[in-house]
Amino acid sequence: MMNRQKTILCGLLLGAAPAFAVQSPNMHEETQWSGIAHQYTGGWEYFVGGGVAAFDCNNDQYPELFFAGGASHAALYINQSSLGGSLKFAKKSDSNLSLDAVTGAYPLDIDNDGILDLAVLRVGENILFKGKGNCQFENANQQWQFEGGSAWTTAFAAMWEGENTKPSLAFGNYVDRSKPGSPFGTCHDTDFYRPDGQGRYLANTPLSPGFCSLSLLFTDWNRSGSPSLKIANDRQYYRGEGQEQLWKIPLGEKPVRYSAQEGWRRQRIWGMGIAATDLTGDGKPEYYVTSMADNKLSTLASQDGKPSFNDIARLRGVTAHRPFVGSSVLPSTGWHAQFDDVNNDSFSDLYVVKGNVEAMSDFAMQDPNNLFLGTPAGTFIESAERSNMLSLHRGRGGSLVDLNLDGLLDVVVVNRQENAQIWRNLGTGTADQRAAMGNWLALKILQPEGSNRNAIGAFIEVRVADRTQSREITVGGGHAGDKAHWHHFGIGVAERAVARVQWPDGKWSPWIRLFANQHARISRDKSTADTWLPFVSAVKH
Amino acid sequence: MSSLKIITLILAASCASSIAAQNSLIGDERALKKHLKQQQLQHLTPEQVVAHGKLLFNAKFTALDGAGRPAATSSEVPVKKQPGISLAMLRTAGPDSNACSGCHNQPGSGGSGEFVVNAFTSSGVTNVDFDSLEPQFSNERGTPHLHGSGLVELLAREMSVDLQQARAQGVAKARASQQSVSVKLTSKGIDFGVLKVSADGFIDVSKIQGVDHDLVVRPFSQKGVFTSLRQFSINAMNAHHGMQSNERWGSQWTNSDDFDEDGFKQELTSGDLTAISIYQASIKTPDQKLPQNPVLKQAALEGEQLFKRADCHLCHTQYLPLKSLSFTEPSPFNTAGNLRPTDGMPVYEYALSNDGLKRDKQGNWLIPVFSDFKRHIIADSEKPHFANERLSQRFIAIDEFISARLWGVGSSAPYGHRGDVSTMMQAILHHGGEARDSRIKFEGLSDLERRKIVEFLKSLQLSLDEERS
Repeated sequence: MMNRQKTILCGLLLGAAPAFAVQSPNMHEETQWSGIAHQYTGGWEYFVGGGVAAFDCNNDQYPELFFAGGASHAALYINQSSLGGSLKFAKKSDSNLSLDAVTGAYPLDIDNDGILDLAVLRVGENILFKGKGNCQFENANQQWQFEGGSAWTTAFAAMWEGENTKPSLAFGNYVDRSKPGSPFGTCHDTDFYRPDGQGRYLANTPLSPGFCSLSLLFTDWNRSGSPSLKIANDRQYYRGEGQEQLWKIPLGEKPVRYSAQEGWRRQRIWGMGIAATDLTGDGKPEYYVTSMADNKLSTLASQDGKPSFNDIARLRGVTAHRPFVGSSVLPSTGWHAQFDDVNNDSFSDLYVVKGNVEAMSDFAMQDPNNLFLGTPAGTFIESAERSNMLSLHRGRGGSLVDLNLDGLLDVVVVNRQENAQIWRNLGTGTADQRAAMGNWLALKILQPEGSNRNAIGAFIEVRVADRTQSREITVGGGHAGDKAHWHHFGIGVAERAVARVQWPDGKWSPWIRLFANQHARISRDKSTADTWLPFVSAVKH
Repeated sequence: MSSLKIITLILAASCASSIAAQNSLIGDERALKKHLKQQQLQHLTPEQVVAHGKLLFNAKFTALDGAGRPAATSSEVPVKKQPGISLAMLRTAGPDSNACSGCHNQPGSGGSGEFVVNAFTSSGVTNVDFDSLEPQFSNERGTPHLHGSGLVELLAREMSVDLQQARAQGVAKARASQQSVSVKLTSKGIDFGVLKVSADGFIDVSKIQGVDHDLVVRPFSQKGVFTSLRQFSINAMNAHHGMQSNERWGSQWTNSDDFDEDGFKQELTSGDLTAISIYQASIKTPDQKLPQNPVLKQAALEGEQLFKRADCHLCHTQYLPLKSLSFTEPSPFNTAGNLRPTDGMPVYEYALSNDGLKRDKQGNWLIPVFSDFKRHIIADSEKPHFANERLSQRFIAIDEFISARLWGVGSSAPYGHRGDVSTMMQAILHHGGEARDSRIKFEGLSDLERRKIVEFLKSLQLSLDEERS
């Protein structure tokens, strides 16, 4: 009996020792003085959406933020931060991006002029804005012969096919409110646009049936060289055959859904957002799809190129099915998801933005966002509270992005009916004295000749010792928003690393030698990377 | 309870405690009986810090100190061994020695080593033990001396600052002018090539010469690939002894307190690593000891002039100027995995000795290091000896090495990065690549003149600490 008591006591003492070893970043919420005052608002149509696009539009490499506003106007915030300093933004009041009915936005260089454009998703006409420089944009629907439609658009993805001068675009639509019986069983098709020989978007190929998509991603899931379109669908409204989808996109041919005969396994979830990265080291992406209750983490199960995936969310500790604080046992509602390395330890972390749809009483109302830190064993440890990022608002979109170019990823979250929030990553330091964590690389990947300058569809591999991090360059995923910025890799205690790129046409670059803690650009025509030093401060306009 | 009883009980407890403490010393086979925290160092005298560092340098670590790494490789980043039988000690993949001074021991602790104590770098193999001397698996390295290492690191830090400032100025100029700018990279009179900065601030690094693309001068190892004594010590402690520092293999990086799975945590603390770095930094600066024999002395003096006539000094630069002798630990150029000044620990400052150092008119200390701290291609098809390995090391090609620091060369035979050249004359005659012209000039000297150069080099000596006093 005594021994048993001793054992229990020892166990308690051991339990008191820190079980948590991976370092949490100290996130400092700076919403209040950041200059950002923005809410995602509106009725039923805006229960979903609420994305944020993070991208540089004034060529200082400090990323601007474009927030969807729902029933309120969308807003472009110009980054006025300084290197490693507090996060400062100013709303661009005269921007023609300040539209209503915006659900989300995705930055990409559609016309290959080196200036990022913006695909703006709306309840109503979607608009392709051409970047003109200095954060000026013009509506290019007419110029590019793009018919923006009138659907309730909630998702977007893009990729370059073959030698096309412009990307193929996919717009994911939610409920077709005009159909009888709406909203149940009346999901809208996904719209797929291919550019013609003159770069015009004349033809829309409906990907039917649609199952109320909330996230799209073109991704080369089996590294075949031919990306497919992965679609996360919301079972709240689909009926019958509704499920998650994967579409083959044969070059120049009509897209075709993968079928059960081809190995596709039906999965029915409240699909909200998609995040992708290679977690197993096989060079193929794993996919995290947010949902209500259990979120899913899919890994390719087949060895023969068939689209058969296993769910490893529970194994890796990222089901995130209920709030990690409070007493509620009701399930969570997940939205935006993103893999990235916030503590630069070389193990990918995962951010999941959460929040009740509106007032669904069967689901948690106090539903904090998760910050999962990756561990060397491949599992994840919840760290949002430890990182001072506990937020109980109804989150929607979000982004992990280096807003002050100090090599530490900061955090943005869009909230429904509450102000967007922003956290500065202080590493292991304080607001007065930030301190670096692990080593990092920030990479730009450039194809200076031809189309697809930013190498969408390429894979980046970063190798240190016996481990390779692999990441696909995509436009899409998340929940209603994405970033187009430096590709960030934590490399832990490595002082140097080598990187190579599998270009979208399948050819490989040589291994490029890189030193830690630098911004560097890998160009297709060079065997050394150009380095880059941040401006001390962002351009103010 | 009465006061007497209480006192009696306290005394009894104290005696028991004392006896227990003494008993614990019986049969204690640890080489390292105490560790220092970084915060403690500022409360110790410099001599105490150096003494702890020397203790660490000379300690024959035992399994009870945490020596050995049954589950980890010699890699500089945390890498688990592949499963299988693993020897506790192995001369190839390591752990291959018990103490730092096991190899660095001529003429004393911190000195160089002869061929028998060569080590094997494992750039090509990170997750298995290689038990072969076959050069496809590793490069073989002689043991350099560490005398004057503090001055070496300070010189490198100042050069890195110069180069990075030039880069920053070039970027600012290119941005302001919206035109491309060429930036000549020089520090302490040494030419490190050119940067081309585009108007958008992107920097073409392809024309940098002899230094890494991040413009950090890394003076340590024969390749010139390690930034600081601390970084090298952390690597070496793991590779050679299986002593893993918390800074590199700690739970913040590995999610484990005992990454090498030898049953010991916290094998080396940050204070320990500062102390061993300070010890190495403090080892006596090499100096010149001219022969007593007047004929040999005159030959050495003439040899110094001939050394210059053969242009040896263009790479083996006799003096480099140093602004400050204040050695701070950790280095501002350390990256994650080595303590950094921003990591929240106190920076330890140590004043290096100016013993034997001259000053120039600007007040700089003239460090007689005989190196330009720059990497050069040193072999060619005519003289391939120094390219006698298979693996590039930390991005550096097999025919490229940092200019050997010739101070102390007279007492650190054998020569060459592999320690396989027994005479200085042979080593000189193996010079190719960028040193070809200089070698040809050397070959053009008379036999006596060549031997006078050797006599000069013989006069560049290491001294034991004891000799300083």
